[in-house]
Amino acid sequence: MNAIETTGLTCRFRQLEAVHSLDLTVPAGSVYALLGPNGAGKSTTIKMLMNLLRPTAGTARVLGVDSQKLGPTEFARIGYVAETIDLPEWMTVRQFLDYCRPFYKKWDVELEKTLLKKFDLPPERKIKHLSRGMRMKTLLLSVLAYRPDLLVLDEPFSGLDPVVRDDFIRGVLEVSSLGNWTVFVSSHDIEEVERLADWVGLIDQGTLKLAEKLDSLQQRFRRIEITRASGISTPTRKPAHWQGWEEAGALTRFVETRYSSGETEKLCAEIFPGANVTAQPLPLREIYLSLARGDAVPEPASSLR
Amino acid sequence: MLPFSIEIRPGLPIAEQVLFAVKKAVVTGQLRTGDKFPSVRILSQELKINPNTAHKVVAQLVDEGVLVTTPAVGSVVAALALGDKRARAELLGPELERAIVEAKKLGLTAEDVQAAVAAHWRKLSDSSKP
Repeated sequence: MNAIETTGLTCRFRQLEAVHSLDLTVPAGSVYALLGPNGAGKSTTIKMLMNLLRPTAGTARVLGVDSQKLGPTEFARIGYVAETIDLPEWMTVRQFLDYCRPFYKKWDVELEKTLLKKFDLPPERKIKHLSRGMRMKTLLLSVLAYRPDLLVLDEPFSGLDPVVRDDFIRGVLEVSSLGNWTVFVSSHDIEEVERLADWVGLIDQGTLKLAEKLDSLQQRFRRIEITRASGISTPTRKPAHWQGWEEAGALTRFVETRYSSGETEKLCAEIFPGANVTAQPLPLREIYLSLARGDAVPEPASSLR
Repeated sequence: MLPFSIEIRPGLPIAEQVLFAVKKAVVTGQLRTGDKFPSVRILSQELKINPNTAHKVVAQLVDEGVLVTTPAVGSVVAALALGDKRARAELLGPELERAIVEAKKLGLTAEDVQAAVAAHWRKLSDSSKP
């Protein structure tokens, strides 16, 4: 079962095509990170998934239901957190939670209390007087308390200080129950995402450039450094899956996008006879940059699952 | 707090890093036979990692005989496995190769490396004594 599934999902604002024919699959039980630069179409995608925006073309199914038919039954199983969500500014934190509680059968009062303490929120303060971080935590608390099956977070970390960010992530993990708990998160914060995600989608200019398991992504990307033997000049043959080619002196450096232990070394030895070759794993951040700069490299068929 | 030292670095798969940290903790005596091992939930929350990853780590550790799961108690650290010594030595292959490559790059001899290995061995053996 997939928690989210879109086919040809498209959103056009007059001349601008914000999201172009998106085919996205978020398996149930995964933590799926949607990465991409500003204006890539991340929020637009999420708004379509949450039925806040009507797609120009294509369809989306969320928890098995057409996104345009999402109703109270489904929304009781979805937790959506975004900075743009309007809160009743005149209510205090406690009043706001009292207001939310009756809407959800699964609301867990104990969890609410635990999180209120953990998040260090002032229950009697009015929402309009909360800081940005407190606001986000209040919103998160109001969705975690009913233990949603699907958590949708739109840029949850932006503008949060490290302490609040930590609280936030702990809160998210607090409700995790293995197997049926799905998180779909759009973010810039690659380091945090690297710890949490098991799936990564990369979106740019409205198009999904890549969707892959983080494991397989980390396996197939390596920074290769080659110290050429003296007298060997730079080769004319460069496989297409070697990207970001750089050279200085006897050193050649590039990113291998289809690393396979042994195979890559053999290929390097053929192209650079007698050279010293090292292969270093890449942080997700570097992989992201290498993908964002170069053309997207389609993953080899074998890594698809 | 987790009963073993770990600092997760970006780059390597998280599961591998945690596995390595736990095994190291067992070898250095931070974790002793019979010690209680944190649950998947605690592991995931403390390290701020995906619960699926935490689950994978615990399953793998049980699989490799580093942990044993007992009903009601959870996972505890197993007695040091004494299986095939050569098979266990093979686990070190990639690490040794990396160290040897680095040593060659630095122009060290096999003797230099052996001396360094012996020194590190002593250091870790000392710290594992109660």
